[in-house]
Amino acid sequence: MYDLIGGQLVSTAFVVFVSGLLYQGSRFFKLTKKKEWILPPLAGAEKRVKKTVVQYIVAGLTSLQGTLWKTDPLMMIVTSVFHVCLILAPIFLLGHNMLLDQSWGLSLWSLPESFTNGLTIVVLICAAFFMMRRLFLARVRAITSFHDYFVLLIAVAPFLTGFLAYHQWFDYRIVMILHILAGELMLITIPFTKLGHMLFFFLYRFFIGSEYSFTRGNRTW
Amino acid sequence: MSSQEIKPIDTEEIKEMLNRQKGKMKRYLSFCAHCSLCAESCFLYRTHNKDPQYMPSYKVIQSLGKLYKKRGKVDRRFLIEIKGIVWRNCVLCGRCYCPIGIHVPSMIAFARSICRSQDVYPQIDEVSSESWL
Repeated sequence: MYDLIGGQLVSTAFVVFVSGLLYQGSRFFKLTKKKEWILPPLAGAEKRVKKTVVQYIVAGLTSLQGTLWKTDPLMMIVTSVFHVCLILAPIFLLGHNMLLDQSWGLSLWSLPESFTNGLTIVVLICAAFFMMRRLFLARVRAITSFHDYFVLLIAVAPFLTGFLAYHQWFDYRIVMILHILAGELMLITIPFTKLGHMLFFFLYRFFIGSEYSFTRGNRTW
Repeated sequence: MSSQEIKPIDTEEIKEMLNRQKGKMKRYLSFCAHCSLCAESCFLYRTHNKDPQYMPSYKVIQSLGKLYKKRGKVDRRFLIEIKGIVWRNCVLCGRCYCPIGIHVPSMIAFARSICRSQDVYPQIDEVSSESWL
């Protein structure tokens, strides 16, 4: 059973993950068309004037006024830290890179295990924060359904089981099987659930022409 | 009795309208993380004591979200409920901000179009407990 879960199922999960993202991406580009957008010039498009370091810092902080960093700074810090750790921890984990090296003969640079353990703890703390928001903040509770808790569980399960496996708490073999299954479930569900915002964040914010576009997005639905 | 109450609801027409915009709207609805970060960008939310029903995501989920969930099989009472959400609780000022990039005004405008296709819209002489604007 371990061979099946840790072998064929892992490959299947990666194939579904990659092909699912490619499908969603190609559907997005098919559904949207290029259009001319008449927008005012971007702030950086004006002639650049040399600024001092202090001026840069002041300009940066001023630009945060009126953004989510001003209206909900705690959530912005937690969500930014959560997403960075969520991506860094599994990609640069020593154990994962050793497995990659064993199967494909190549691996990425690895972070020290104690550091990735710290990143995992940060992910778990941030997830607990999101859970508390869903439970106790009226405005979040008003739009929360069972599905939201389930998606949060899917995102957190690989980290929770990975943490338990690293510290060898409970039955290591069972925890490892659960960890692999949780990782596979997350990969498979990313393109087809709310977790798809991993891809759609970039598609919406960079390609769709909008006032809030990060770049001069010129596509429209 | 006004014509608004007489005309039967054409669920096939609603279904067709929903299907025409499915690619965009379903994706917007599916990838909304339900984070509530859009709340503070809505002036109606802020001026109504932060009542969650004025939150952009709430308005979309309760109107267009439900229309898709029910696959257009709705009755007049349901559309009248939606009317309150998409006209009274939202003025389509376009100031709502979603960190993922979901365009809320286009969804509310689409829900309005569906209501309007069935002759459900605020009447000029309508008596309401609250102002429409």
